[in-house]
Amino acid sequence: MKLLIIEDEPSLREIMQRALTQERYVVETATNYAEADAKIAAYSYDCILLDIMLPDGNGLQLLQHLKQQRKRENVIIISARDSLDDKVLGLDMGADDYLPKPFHTAELLARIKSVLRRGKSGGEMALILGNVSLEPESSRVRVNDKELPLLKKEFDILLYFMQRPNHLVDKSVLAEAVWGDHADQADNFQFVYAQMKNLRRKLVDAGADIEIKAVYGFGYKLVPPTE
Amino acid sequence: MKLISRIALRLSLFLIPLLALWATLFYLMTVDEINDEADDALENYSELIIIRMLAGRELPPLNSGTNNSYSITPIDKEYALSKPHFEYYDAEVYIPEKEETEPARILSTIFIDDDDNYYELKVAIPTFEKDDLIRTILFLIVLLYFILLITIISVTLWVFHRSMRPLYALLQWLDEFTPGRRNAPVPDDTHITEFHKLNMAAQEAANRAEELFEQQKQFIGNASHELQTPLAVLGNRIEWLLDNTELNENQVEELFKMQRSLGHIVRLNKTLLLLTKIENGQFPENSDVDICLIICEQIALYDEIYASRGITSSTHLPETFIVSMNDSLASTLISNLLKNAYIHSAPHTHIEVSLVGHTLKIANDGDTPLDADHIFDRFYQGHKKEGSTGLGLALVKAVCRYYNLSIAYRFEDGKHCFFIDWE
Repeated sequence: MKLLIIEDEPSLREIMQRALTQERYVVETATNYAEADAKIAAYSYDCILLDIMLPDGNGLQLLQHLKQQRKRENVIIISARDSLDDKVLGLDMGADDYLPKPFHTAELLARIKSVLRRGKSGGEMALILGNVSLEPESSRVRVNDKELPLLKKEFDILLYFMQRPNHLVDKSVLAEAVWGDHADQADNFQFVYAQMKNLRRKLVDAGADIEIKAVYGFGYKLVPPTE
Repeated sequence: MKLISRIALRLSLFLIPLLALWATLFYLMTVDEINDEADDALENYSELIIIRMLAGRELPPLNSGTNNSYSITPIDKEYALSKPHFEYYDAEVYIPEKEETEPARILSTIFIDDDDNYYELKVAIPTFEKDDLIRTILFLIVLLYFILLITIISVTLWVFHRSMRPLYALLQWLDEFTPGRRNAPVPDDTHITEFHKLNMAAQEAANRAEELFEQQKQFIGNASHELQTPLAVLGNRIEWLLDNTELNENQVEELFKMQRSLGHIVRLNKTLLLLTKIENGQFPENSDVDICLIICEQIALYDEIYASRGITSSTHLPETFIVSMNDSLASTLISNLLKNAYIHSAPHTHIEVSLVGHTLKIANDGDTPLDADHIFDRFYQGHKKEGSTGLGLALVKAVCRYYNLSIAYRFEDGKHCFFIDWE
């Protein structure tokens, strides 16, 4: 899998490259519009991470170029401007996803995986880990091909962890990801714990071989079965 | 006090002494003139009597139907020499025909006949009643005062409004002026130099205010945007540490704490951006949103999040309440109001949400009233809460301003109540 990172900020470029290389992607980078335009014209990539605010041009124009050249690269827009207009415009112009800054590395990885999976399978997008398969679109979870009924929050938590296997997640980050801004001033994370307890029990009861482990009492990590 | 009232008041006050002075002068001059005329008549009359008497002719009859009267008294020399020979004075005279006394003008003349006998002739003609005159003049003066006052004030009013029209146009414009909104230019259809200058000054001040407002807004927006990338870098580096290094419990805890603080900054930054966007009017798309539905969904969320504190809630909502708003702003509005109620409620208290007519009321138990003048200000916090942005109610206010909804806070029956009115 070959990725292109178009980002002008060296530090962010570096950590994105490091994280993606670690996931065994082949990563190339471009620091400005001209360099990116040249690379896109010369090579083809599986996925392009595109910062739309570049020093010498607008990333959305690159998107237009891609379309004109009839290239079928997946594009994820990364923008400091969390504006609906940019998002709608970008998606209209053929981008596959839109990720506002600042983002979590795990979020970026999850989005890339999701985009690539969608591109490969043409719509069917089950996440599979061990004997658990999760379909984000239809909100269905199967363990050993048997449907596992989950409540909405339980499903959201499982989806979040399935997208970030082996990644240590702080309770507050999880709360914000699942409960949104509503949870940002909660004085304890009892509500996270309550949902998590139910989800873990359901997974165990269904015989799932993945496990969401509590780490040091303030975080969780999804551990897939070792092969 | 309005300027015109002040002018009217001053005019009326100024007219009182002026008219009083004028009335006094008028009275004195009138009396003087009447006395003068009476004195002339007295002089003629007394001359006639003296001439007739000295000539030994028949004196005029005492009662000739004119109420004039005279008396001739012989006097001795000493008395005659001790008095002035002509003396005018006013006195009350008894008129036998009428059987009453009347005010009269009297001339007393002392004369000598051929035999060196001194006589005193007193001639009296009835004159006017001074009280009557004064009363009449006073009445007329008061009448005149009011007529003058009404005339002067109405003329002044008319002239004032005519000439001050540009001033009132400017004042109305100032009332409507809000920096950041699309403001019409200062109305300037006047040829009066002073008003023109005033308008120019107002326009300049307004432009400056607009410019500063715009700069400030842009500054906040730009600063927040610029912060996004370094925040992303920082967050990702922490995550990298968590995922790629062997860490003991203390280290993980420390990194998580850093992550939470960072999360706080990120939220603060996002909220500032959101505020800027609302104030820039960047939420044009409105759709029909059901406020009741939003409330129900969010109350369920908050009940879950704050379940450990034993906060209960009750709602009195109609089936639906559809308004035309941007759905993310509607959600921001309700969410921040509810969050505010839940965060600041003590354990085991009650939150009440009701929607009656067009008014949404969110009430939670409390001890002391909040400072209603400042709770909607940015970063105003009664007591600092960890993780709070201090922008929640500022957001609520911004959304309300954006849609011209009225928002109010009142402390009623031991409850903090927030009211939003859709009209």
